[in-house]
Amino acid sequence: MGTIAEPERRSTLPSEIGQNGEMPPRSSAHRHGRPARLLSAVFHPIGDEGRASLVERRIADAIRGGVLHAGEKLPSEHDLAQTFGVAPATVREALLSLRSRGLLVTRRGRGGGSFVADSADPMAFTTEALRSTTRVSLRDAATHYLAITRACVELAARRADPSEVELIRARVHRAHGGDLRMWRRIVDDAVIELAALSQSARLTREQMRLQAELSPFFALVDQDEREQKRRLDALDSILDAVADADPGRAGDLVAEAVAHDVTWLIDHRATLEAQ
Amino acid sequence: MTVPAQSTIGSPATIVADYFGQAIDELESWKAKFSADLAAARARGPVTTDTLDALVAPYALRTFDALELPVYGSGFIAALDSLADASSHLAWWQGADRAQLVLAAQSVNKEAIDYSELEWYRVPHQTGEAHVAGPYVDYLCSDEYTITIASPVFLDGEFVGVAGLDLLIDQVERDLLPVLAPLGDDLSIVNGVGRVLLSTSPHRETGDSIRGAELASLTRTACPGMALDVVAG
Repeated sequence: MGTIAEPERRSTLPSEIGQNGEMPPRSSAHRHGRPARLLSAVFHPIGDEGRASLVERRIADAIRGGVLHAGEKLPSEHDLAQTFGVAPATVREALLSLRSRGLLVTRRGRGGGSFVADSADPMAFTTEALRSTTRVSLRDAATHYLAITRACVELAARRADPSEVELIRARVHRAHGGDLRMWRRIVDDAVIELAALSQSARLTREQMRLQAELSPFFALVDQDEREQKRRLDALDSILDAVADADPGRAGDLVAEAVAHDVTWLIDHRATLEAQ
Repeated sequence: MTVPAQSTIGSPATIVADYFGQAIDELESWKAKFSADLAAARARGPVTTDTLDALVAPYALRTFDALELPVYGSGFIAALDSLADASSHLAWWQGADRAQLVLAAQSVNKEAIDYSELEWYRVPHQTGEAHVAGPYVDYLCSDEYTITIASPVFLDGEFVGVAGLDLLIDQVERDLLPVLAPLGDDLSIVNGVGRVLLSTSPHRETGDSIRGAELASLTRTACPGMALDVVAG
């Protein structure tokens, strides 16, 4: 079972932790807020079989999703081996493959190591993923995303204190006007904070996983500054409804927002297909 | 209506205050020694994340065994922009294996984590006092429904971070509910925004909020030393 970012590649290997809905075991390679949540899905132990492919895929996904940025230096082979719980030779194999795919470059000497290629452009990768996925896949991903996010927001409307909602709102407004990456990060953070106000650990974890999967696609939408403004207004309205303890209105607004994004993505996909 | 806590041993508010009070006391005690270590390190030059980790580790690890509480995580969170090599840092140990929390962002691309508005950082920073934060879904560290007890550390009047420990609500329920249940079937522990931490009543769930007029109509007893009340009804 793949994500919409990787519809063609079916993993025949045992369940990839974090890839098919299973929660990662408690481990020393752990997580934090927005980018690190994605990063932590990258940097925690991998299972026994097909290790090199799994390491390769984990890093490739992170590069494609913009979690590892162009030009960014990877941890040393030794550190990667330790974090993934695999042999250094396995890491080396994976890095070699990533290099041949043009996703990584090697620099020798002082300050040398493996770096994400400068040309690695998450927008390009996501555009390609959008082009190669199907409408039905996209819709199903959106359906899943909506079901969970809506459930979180409706619970938040029942359970959140207005002061908690205002903290989220203030942070989002401070961020607006920054670069796209910063904007997406703040929005993702805000959605997760809102989801967490549901007081449900299970739903929040699921929402974070789905947010990580779909955020690169929402970022495509947000390349248009008018769409950023639209999203800000939509978020404000949702926060209003949550602060007003109106689960029905809050849920409907979430549904509207997701519907808008999906329509945009499907239209854009059609444009890409026609090219 | 809030009445002062009864001094009778065994009253719900006292039981709750004693339970979380142990955590506060433990943090206050290691904080004092840790502050001295940190001050000495700062005198030698700007403190890095590695230096901080090494300073915090013995205190954090000791916390797991020092208390009879089910400590899930422990450590120190640096004040934003207080370290030499990162604008944010959590020196944190958690889980059954008490492994150091390796936040990938901290080791890979040093992106700042803005925890300034999270309750366990914001309130101790603002009030200068220990705080029992939550219950909340901790998407930063434990990924579980958590209570974080946190105490601010100041050096020469400068805020340098918070010392903290995590308890999972699940474990707290196992500890407290059997003790509170015999005292009444309508008792709820609520926090500063009226959120229910635990309730002996089948009609109130952890995470629900008791607000406004309803809250005002119930008998509230303050738990001394923390922003928690026991309400009846």
